[in-house]
Amino acid sequence: MSVLPRNFRLLAELEKGEKGLGDGSVSYGLESPEDTYLSSWIGTIIGPNQIFCDKDYPNKPPSVKFESKINIPCVNQQTGVVEPKNFPLLKDWSDKTTIETILLELRREMTTTANRRLQQPPEGTYF
Amino acid sequence: MNSLPKRIIKETERLVKEPAPGISATPNEENLRYFNVVITGPVDSPFQGNVSHHKSGGVFNLELFLTDDYPMSAPKVRFLTKIYHPNIDKLGRICLDILKDKWSPALQIRTVLLSIQALLSAPNPDDPLANDVAEHWKSNEKDAIQTAKEWTRLYAA
Repeated sequence: MSVLPRNFRLLAELEKGEKGLGDGSVSYGLESPEDTYLSSWIGTIIGPNQIFCDKDYPNKPPSVKFESKINIPCVNQQTGVVEPKNFPLLKDWSDKTTIETILLELRREMTTTANRRLQQPPEGTYF
Repeated sequence: MNSLPKRIIKETERLVKEPAPGISATPNEENLRYFNVVITGPVDSPFQGNVSHHKSGGVFNLELFLTDDYPMSAPKVRFLTKIYHPNIDKLGRICLDILKDKWSPALQIRTVLLSIQALLSAPNPDDPLANDVAEHWKSNEKDAIQTAKEWTRLYAA
């Protein structure tokens, strides 16, 4: 298999996101429609996330940050950043993993029995 | 590194040795299916550079990728330089029949790039990709061409 260059890989992800995904529980798109280098993304799992794909994507994972406050172990409570050390999908990154996979896994993380018991910050508060 | 099909090697050699006028395509050192492309804006199009300068035209950077299916499927190609054109969207994606349903394995990288260069001379607002630009083109062509020239000056110098 040949190596799909970063930009064309991200374009394919964008086109998939534009068509609409699975059950619609997660969505994502570019932060700016003119972002030629396809770096800054907004994902939504109930609330929005910022996703930044560096030039090394997909060889290296993007950085992911929650905008609205959420209390789950993989999210840094000061910054909202998803800490790779507590989130195996980012820590043991595979270049097959996509923005969609990350959002679906985060959504799964939010709904595990253990995490559902955690007390959550009031709605409408932001990191 | 996977071995590169003969056809791609031949096309690459010819692109480098006998480049088409106003077009250059250079394979990426790490990925020989991935090309840096430079297309010069055709003379007498809004994408021509400032004639008072020595350069003959606006300079547009593109990227092109040959998938594993090539030549059974078209190359993937898009503009990296911003361009005001009804058939090219904000992310540089190109609406051109030979890149979609009119692709034929008899076409080559060279023919694709020549067709893109020709598209710069002949914008087609009736088959738009960038709707706002196409509307502009249809409602006030003179003004749209002025904007296209302005963008060429700003981004394709």
